[in-house]
Amino acid sequence: MRLKKPREKQPPKLVMEPLVDCVFLLLIFFMVANILKPTLPFTVELPDSKSREEYVRKKFNVYINANGQMSVDDQAMQDYDALEKYLLTRANEIEVLMIHADKNTKHGDVIDAMERAKRATLDNIAFVLSDEEIE
Amino acid sequence: MYDENQTQATARKSRREPAVDMTPMIDCVFLLIIFFMLATTFSPLPGIQVKLPPPSNAPTPPEQKNFILVISNPEGGASEGIMLLNDSGVSMSDLSVSFMGGTEEQKETLIIRSGRRVKHEQIVTVMDKAKRAGIKKIGFAMVASSLY
Repeated sequence: MRLKKPREKQPPKLVMEPLVDCVFLLLIFFMVANILKPTLPFTVELPDSKSREEYVRKKFNVYINANGQMSVDDQAMQDYDALEKYLLTRANEIEVLMIHADKNTKHGDVIDAMERAKRATLDNIAFVLSDEEIE
Repeated sequence: MYDENQTQATARKSRREPAVDMTPMIDCVFLLIIFFMLATTFSPLPGIQVKLPPPSNAPTPPEQKNFILVISNPEGGASEGIMLLNDSGVSMSDLSVSFMGGTEEQKETLIIRSGRRVKHEQIVTVMDKAKRAGIKKIGFAMVASSLY
């Protein structure tokens, strides 16, 4: 006859490994997600449009806010000369220059930025639109 | 519980068959999937295309065959500037109809001559309406102030 072994009196163990795995996974996820999204020196509210094309997200995006402040990704640009210089040194890396201009940006500022892009040998430009499609 | 033909020895062997533990591999695979999902771009960026003309100092003279849209600077707290399409006043809501009513020749090109203070949103809305009305090329007529 087989008798049941008396249970060894051990305090219950908490297995930490899966928890640590998950925590590391989440840590890496948020680290990478944060690096990919550039932190802008200002916010930009994009205009809407029904007709739209789709572009691949890449580095070197120009942002212009309503006051005419500019930045390329998270690098603030002091003036148009700085913008032109910055774009010219990276012209071979830019296929399509994406301009994220605020709804309320003056069209003159956008034209000026485009003019500088053209002088920096970039002639393929797109205005970025808001993610929400209008009805 | 064993099959009658099965010997005791093989039965013991099958019980100790080595099991491949898949869990760590699946963990790694998921980690890599998430890494590459983040590293590659997952959502496309919506945009409206603008092709700049080749550099030349002489602007092309405006031809009456095209659509020419003049937009004034917004005045007196208005959010939008007043628009003139080929010298006749037009509202934003009538713009699509006016574009669609144009001749094939007119639909080739739209030239937007706008004031510097016109909001970007208005320009994008005009471009949107023009593209949907079948206008092939859109040009901006404005002198960049920062250069001259």
